[in-house]
Amino acid sequence: MALDLSMEVLVVDDYKTMIRIIRNLLKQLGFENIDDAADGAEALGKLKEKAYGLIISDWNMEPMTGYELLKEVRSDDILGKTPFIMVTAESKTENVIAAKKAGVNNYIVKPFNAATLQAKINAVFGE
Amino acid sequence: MKFNNALAKHSDEILVLLREAKEKDIRLGDVMSMAEVMMNSMHGFFESLDMSVYKEMREIASYIEKAKGDISNLQANKLKGEHIPVAGRELDEVVAATERATDTIMESAEKIMAADTSDFTSYQTEVNNAVMDIFEACSFQDITGQRINKVVGTLKHIEDRVARFANATGVEDSEGAQSAAETADLKRKNDLILHGPQSDTEAVIQDDIDAMFK
Repeated sequence: MALDLSMEVLVVDDYKTMIRIIRNLLKQLGFENIDDAADGAEALGKLKEKAYGLIISDWNMEPMTGYELLKEVRSDDILGKTPFIMVTAESKTENVIAAKKAGVNNYIVKPFNAATLQAKINAVFGE
Repeated sequence: MKFNNALAKHSDEILVLLREAKEKDIRLGDVMSMAEVMMNSMHGFFESLDMSVYKEMREIASYIEKAKGDISNLQANKLKGEHIPVAGRELDEVVAATERATDTIMESAEKIMAADTSDFTSYQTEVNNAVMDIFEACSFQDITGQRINKVVGTLKHIEDRVARFANATGVEDSEGAQSAAETADLKRKNDLILHGPQSDTEAVIQDDIDAMFK
């Protein structure tokens, strides 16, 4: 899967400052089309309306968490293969194992920097 | 006869207390008051009993009196009505101040990123102004630090009083003391693996996570 900087990226976080940070970092990395959602349920609605090339999601949100969103995406026939990166403060081994088992493509612990985000995106797209 | 008359009189008082308490939660203080009324009502009865039993009852009365003192020293109403709400307001202020500062810093950084570089002098002025805004916004740390210290002080105050109360009364933690809402919240956190941020010693580091994805 090649990295296409014009693809739609969906950033999911209930903290608007974090969305702003990730948006700015993605813009610095060259991404042009960035959309956002405040929780898993809103994200799922958007995913069913438009095709996204990458989901970057927080874990701890209400009512639907990023973990639940990941499982919903992976169990959906159309969305199932969408690359999914978890960006979260949930930093227990148990969380990483559960996310990996649920099919996450990469996992970033907060706080993080642009280089880490770029490295994980590159790893997901095999760059 | 004397006992029966006293009991009848005090039973009426207990009935009034119970009727008043019917529509609301019965507080420990009410239970203590009812126990006192009962003790008073049995005063005549004690007089006719063996002195050793009377002594036992006096000790129970003293224990109840001491427990009332311990509860009073806990100052639960002051904690609930004053200390905890003030601490909550301080934390709200901390959240609001950090949000305002983050907003200002990000806005300034975005201005720098978007600044026109074609005219060096105006670019330099714009960058300098934005950097000054960032410096000013960072002053939030001093005030939020002081607010958090006040909250820590309140928590310490509550901890001291609760510990003193627990020691004085010899109470032990009971199982199943959680409310239905607390139980539901705990279940959700367990099911969805929600632990929140960990301390540096407990958190798994990014390098270890990366190793799991190789």
